[in-house]
Amino acid sequence: MPPEAIELLVIAAAALVFAVAFAPQAASRRTLLVRGGAGLAGSAAIAAVPTLDVALLVLLMLGVLHAAVAGTRSFATRLRPPVIAVGMLALGLLLVRVEAPDLVARFGAVGLVAGLAASIGLLPYLHPIEPDEALTASPVAWLGFIGPVLAVVVVVRAQGALPTDAGGAFGGMLVGLGLLNMAWGGVAAWLTADEVAAWRYSFVADWGLVLCGFGLTVADGQRGALLVLFSILAGRLPLYLISRQAIREKTTTRRPINLVVAAALAGSAPFVGFGARILLLRASTQIYWPLALVLAVVMLLWLPGSLRLGRSLGQPRRRQALGVALILAVNVAAGLYPLPLLAAARL
Amino acid sequence: MPSAAVAAPIVFPLIVAAVIAAFGLAGINLGRPAAAVGAWSAAAALLAAWLPIRSSLELVLGQLGYGSALDLRLDGVSFAFGLLIVVPAAVLLTLQPRPWADAAIALVGMAASVAAVEAGGVVLTAIAGGTAATVAVVLLDTEDPDAKRPSWGFLLAAWLALALVGVVLQVGGGTAVYSAVPVSAVTAPVFALLAAAAVLASCLLPWRSWPAQLWTRPSLRAAGITLATLFPLGFYLLVRAYELGDGRYPSAAFNIVLSVIGLAVALSAAARAQAVATRRELLAEVVPGLGGFALTAIALGTPLGLVTGIVLLAVASAFVACLALLPDRAGIESMVAIAAAVGLPPSVAFGARVLGIEATFEAGDFLGLIGVAGAITWAVWMVAGARAIGLPGGRGHPAAETFPIVAMSIALLTLIGGPALALFQAGFANPVAAEVMRSAAGTLGGGATSIATTSSLLPVVTLFTPLLVIAVAVYFATNTRAIRTQARPALFPIPSAPIAERIRIAFKNATVPDEYRTVFSLRELESAAARGNPIVWLVALVALGFAVTRY
Amino acid sequence: MIQPAAGIVVWLGVSLVVVADGRRGQAVGIALSALGLAVLAFVTAGAVAAAAIAAGGAIAGARRFVSGPAGWEILSPGSTPRLVLCIVTALVAFWVADAVTSGPVASVRFAVITAITLSAARVLSTAEPAAQLSAVAVVAIGVASAGAIGSTDPAVWPYLAGGVVAAIVGWLPLRSPSAA
Repeated sequence: MPPEAIELLVIAAAALVFAVAFAPQAASRRTLLVRGGAGLAGSAAIAAVPTLDVALLVLLMLGVLHAAVAGTRSFATRLRPPVIAVGMLALGLLLVRVEAPDLVARFGAVGLVAGLAASIGLLPYLHPIEPDEALTASPVAWLGFIGPVLAVVVVVRAQGALPTDAGGAFGGMLVGLGLLNMAWGGVAAWLTADEVAAWRYSFVADWGLVLCGFGLTVADGQRGALLVLFSILAGRLPLYLISRQAIREKTTTRRPINLVVAAALAGSAPFVGFGARILLLRASTQIYWPLALVLAVVMLLWLPGSLRLGRSLGQPRRRQALGVALILAVNVAAGLYPLPLLAAARL
Repeated sequence: MPSAAVAAPIVFPLIVAAVIAAFGLAGINLGRPAAAVGAWSAAAALLAAWLPIRSSLELVLGQLGYGSALDLRLDGVSFAFGLLIVVPAAVLLTLQPRPWADAAIALVGMAASVAAVEAGGVVLTAIAGGTAATVAVVLLDTEDPDAKRPSWGFLLAAWLALALVGVVLQVGGGTAVYSAVPVSAVTAPVFALLAAAAVLASCLLPWRSWPAQLWTRPSLRAAGITLATLFPLGFYLLVRAYELGDGRYPSAAFNIVLSVIGLAVALSAAARAQAVATRRELLAEVVPGLGGFALTAIALGTPLGLVTGIVLLAVASAFVACLALLPDRAGIESMVAIAAAVGLPPSVAFGARVLGIEATFEAGDFLGLIGVAGAITWAVWMVAGARAIGLPGGRGHPAAETFPIVAMSIALLTLIGGPALALFQAGFANPVAAEVMRSAAGTLGGGATSIATTSSLLPVVTLFTPLLVIAVAVYFATNTRAIRTQARPALFPIPSAPIAERIRIAFKNATVPDEYRTVFSLRELESAAARGNPIVWLVALVALGFAVTRY
Repeated sequence: MIQPAAGIVVWLGVSLVVVADGRRGQAVGIALSALGLAVLAFVTAGAVAAAAIAAGGAIAGARRFVSGPAGWEILSPGSTPRLVLCIVTALVAFWVADAVTSGPVASVRFAVITAITLSAARVLSTAEPAAQLSAVAVVAIGVASAGAIGSTDPAVWPYLAGGVVAAIVGWLPLRSPSAA
């Protein structure tokens, strides 16, 4: 099992415990626990199985289970993305493994990248979203909970299977898709009409950073990607969960806590997002310095959307306020001193 | 001196902030004494760590995880800038009552700012400076979410740019530690990025921006703290840039460009100041005006220019405290403040401006012309100050947060402090030059009573003391009650203000004709991408396949 | 001869899943796909693998035989594009398996490509849960069989997992969409 996957599993488990403990009143804690537990078990299975083929089968099963839970979208709508993802990943893996000219392996890399994007729900394979759908049934479950472990497993195993030429194409495509998701997610989180969609796009933007990190095949890129995944699991997802009630009630507030949350979501210092950005800038400078400039400019797109999302949190009270404080504290600690996280993942 | 003493100016305010917050959450407001303890303990720690040894003290605590170690250093530069940050903040926290949350946040911001100037490398400075900026925005919003505050985008861009500089130095030069970066790693593009970060961090721009706008807030508590903690940081970066380049910038063009920017900032502040309607509006331009002069001096590239810039920054820091405590009323307090700010002799500002102009002439070539322009700018400030005699005070601030005697005392100190300029420069500013311009700093001399320049000697005590005596004598000999003031017209109107407003309104109201049908609709694009259309997915797959054949 | 025949049987089976709207047609399609893939698995990975595929496919087919829209509904009106898709996919898969790629067991490559591609297309093209789950079952055994490609001694785990997934998916309770 890749050490990063183990670490992300632990963080996902902690995120689940947090979700159950600090969920707003309206949410069913039992449902969260059951569905979240199933998702966690599926993620653990994906990380633990010996080959990527079996991991794809686990992913397929997870996709069917997720499509079967009660939600506002139809079963058919929710089933399509994971099945397409598994199909593309499987075909990509096939093309990588066969004896064939280098170009075929590159097409295999295309399948792997496209399949990864489709499984998580990134551009250009966004999952349809309904504002009224429960969190556990929505695409955010893939983006914010199952996706991190899945992405690490797929990327690590794929990088091991790809020949050198196709590996370069794989990395290049990840960076390209990453930039696309960063730009689209950043702008859409700011301008889209619906708050739930805005949150979804904020996840998409963060995933853009992750894809760039995975595509920059130096250690700092992997480190940056890991920190962003940490910020998704331990920051963005719990904050989204806490904001659900205020979004449902259509309340927005402009209190200091909303601004601090916005800062965390935007990746400002001293939160973990800033440390991740430093690592990604280091990685891109090592590979191709103009990319670092582009990344730095695109990173500014987080700010307007984050201000909006911060306000959508409403005014958390009592237990939720404690939860928000805990999230922010964890993010600050990881932002100022990320070494233990990186060391645990052997990066 | 144990190296852990370096961390004390950062740790003490954080500890006190935590205590204030803990008591505050329990319903007990520890009030101004606690905030004062937190702030003054940082100042005391700085002095206690620096004065006994007056040489660099470093604390390295191991790697943090992004290529930088926790490396803190107390040297002449961090000592000077640390005091510039801490002292005005401490004065304000001691005197102005504020809720416990504001006090705690202010202390955290102050600690972050001190951490930025004590950081041993560029990346750590970026993290600490970014934190200070975030905290400042939160503090301003906590006090009044509807009042003016710095553009968060600008601040984030500044510290992100600095982070990029840091990683470029790490990758290209192997390290981003100020004292260890190879000079060859500081190329022109890297320096340009650093300079841009510095200009944005302190918002040294030739139009009205947050260093002036914050003074129009209904309350000046958070504004004062913000200016104290954020405004010096951009200058700090430009001073450290000399250390990165072994005493100079990569190209003389950078000296010229930055000096011109500083001049533009000072001149635009002066132009706005002479056209204001109230004394408060004039005083709002003081800090950016002094900052502009300071930037011009620091950017000259000579030791004299550098120390002069530091002295001007010290005056600006004093005025941050003074202006935040000054009530908006016509009276002797504001007059003294204005007199000191515009640089009436024998004030510290007067002496520093004289030296600054002399430094430009000694630098020679184009920089000499900048000196001439600087003198003209100063003259405009004098006119603005004279005009302010007849202006009303301003909108007014809560009386509880104003301390006119203290404000006047601070202004008076800078006004009569001119004779001590040489002593102040030798003790406070010269170590900065010694740290970042090691090879050239030896040209600074003169001692405690005079300042030696390349071509002359300015006997500040001999010259300024009689001026001070004469000024005092004239003041007491004059019957001020007989003076009747009246508002004078501006020397020249500022056409840019209504033009900028018209442009802004035009942009805001811009629309396309109803008949226009766009081929690029963001909303429809979003809808198409998020609908889960299989055709879109297939096309994307084909596009990726095509792209990979071109790779 | 057996391997090419098995490959064609797989294609026939998955094509039936694609063009049939009734549960009997889909059940026979699943069964044929599983039969073909089981034969190929027996040749490349051994008896256990073949048994897993066969069992999974049989259970999935049996489940489909008793649940879903009644009848066969093969080539019902509007299914021409799907039929064309099946033919085109077969041709492309044959070209990729035989001409573009090389190595032993070209039939496995052909079978896997057709199984996965056509099943995925079926999932995209229909909103009927029974048809989608039939296609998912074929995807599962198709993905499992892909483990033989590029390996001289494929492990049995993918086949077991594929069989289990194919067997289970048809039994999941489905809920209608509702407001949250």
